[in-house]
Amino acid sequence: MSGLILKDFLTARRALRSYFTIPIFYFVLTVMGMFDLTFVTVFMTLLVMLLPMGAFSYDEQAKWDRYAMSLPLGRRGVVGARYLFALLLALFAGAFGTAVCAVLSVTGKGDLLESLLTILATLAVCIWMVAILLPLCYKLGPERARIYMFVLVFAPIILMFLAVRLGIHIDLSFLDGLSDGALMAGFALFPLSGLLALGVSYFVSCAIVERKEF
Amino acid sequence: MNNAIEIRGLCKSYGDFSLQNIDLTLPGGSILGLIGENGAGKTTTMKCILNLIRRDAGEITVLGRDSIAQEREIKQDVGLVMDECFFHDVLRPLDVGRVLAPAYRDWDAGLFRDYLDKFGLPEKKYIKEFSRGMKMKLSLAAALAHHPRLLILDEATAGLDPVVRDEILEEFLGFICDEDHSILISSHITSDLEKAADYIAYLHGGRVVLSAAKDDILDNYGRVGCTREQLAAIDPAELVRVRRETFGCEALVADRAAFRRRYPDLTVDKIALEDIMLFIGKGEEL
Repeated sequence: MSGLILKDFLTARRALRSYFTIPIFYFVLTVMGMFDLTFVTVFMTLLVMLLPMGAFSYDEQAKWDRYAMSLPLGRRGVVGARYLFALLLALFAGAFGTAVCAVLSVTGKGDLLESLLTILATLAVCIWMVAILLPLCYKLGPERARIYMFVLVFAPIILMFLAVRLGIHIDLSFLDGLSDGALMAGFALFPLSGLLALGVSYFVSCAIVERKEF
Repeated sequence: MNNAIEIRGLCKSYGDFSLQNIDLTLPGGSILGLIGENGAGKTTTMKCILNLIRRDAGEITVLGRDSIAQEREIKQDVGLVMDECFFHDVLRPLDVGRVLAPAYRDWDAGLFRDYLDKFGLPEKKYIKEFSRGMKMKLSLAAALAHHPRLLILDEATAGLDPVVRDEILEEFLGFICDEDHSILISSHITSDLEKAADYIAYLHGGRVVLSAAKDDILDNYGRVGCTREQLAAIDPAELVRVRRETFGCEALVADRAAFRRRYPDLTVDKIALEDIMLFIGKGEEL
């Protein structure tokens, strides 16, 4: 299974190179006070959502799946490798985001708690997206699944826009009354729920692939 | 010697095409050549062996083990080369070795590098820069580097020039020198199978229409050239297929010595596998 995870990193190495070069550039600009934490959230989204989708596209291009299924790994092994790849990306993105928050806090460019909450929320959204998109990729293929990705990304934005237009306001002032520890613990549940969803998603993908013919 | 592959009553239906009661045996230590037209069911049969598709009925045993219950153990001992290279263009042979090594218990990195050297494949060159022949050689190196006991080759020599094809065939023959090794190979290039195969199975319309030792086929089958009147005088039971042309007729017979004894006035020639395919594929049954 580790070979397949390595394969995903190797096929994505060109994308990874650019994904890493650009954040470093933005990181410097942020420390200089020219950008805020938004760049980290964008970077995390790109890394966690787009790279696993890209891996499906690379595989489809090479017709890799038929070969992968002929390896002595079993179908679950092949699916598991893709999920571990996504999970490693999420862990890395989370670690990178946390490190950036710490540096920005030390350099006095941002509030540590607020930044960390932003990172946790972003990570949670990304993991949930991946948990929904991976089974779709197995079922529909990466091209058709991409349409659903756009729906998942834009639907909440449109809903929020409509809510504002309709004068619907969600009162979040109760958050101000919570202690820092309670806030952190509450927000930490979001990525954890994402991980749980990823586990369920794995079994759904396995069931799809078990029925698939190559 | 045990059989490397045993297929009994294999059925698989796609609606417009179906494999019907396929029975095939690949004796250990030998090469079975699978021939047939496009869409005859060769690749479908191979996919069933590898469990890439679900069969509707039948049993398949590979290296003495059930192909479904013991799929993963079997695949440790099987090398696969298909008609195209499945490795991503952005990988290099070096990467392919690193990707496949953890998958196989007996992956031999030294042997893989030896094959790369032998086939003249630069280990740090991207696969997108490889020719078709180089890609097929890389697939073969990957298939051989984990010391498989069975090679499954689906049109592995298709589209290659005669020099590369010959090199790859040499490799197959080298592989089969070990009596524990076996090869199932499908190919349209019947001349390659005449050189290498021990057994031939001909799939036509999803059925096995001919399955025998290659030497028996080539020693016994024959082509009769005759006029329409002469053809009418032959017992139809003697003829496997007939082709009627503008200037005469040709017929395929399964036992040319017996035919010659019975019809000494008619000429019976030896026949190549390709011509047998043409007779069965395009000829008429009497």
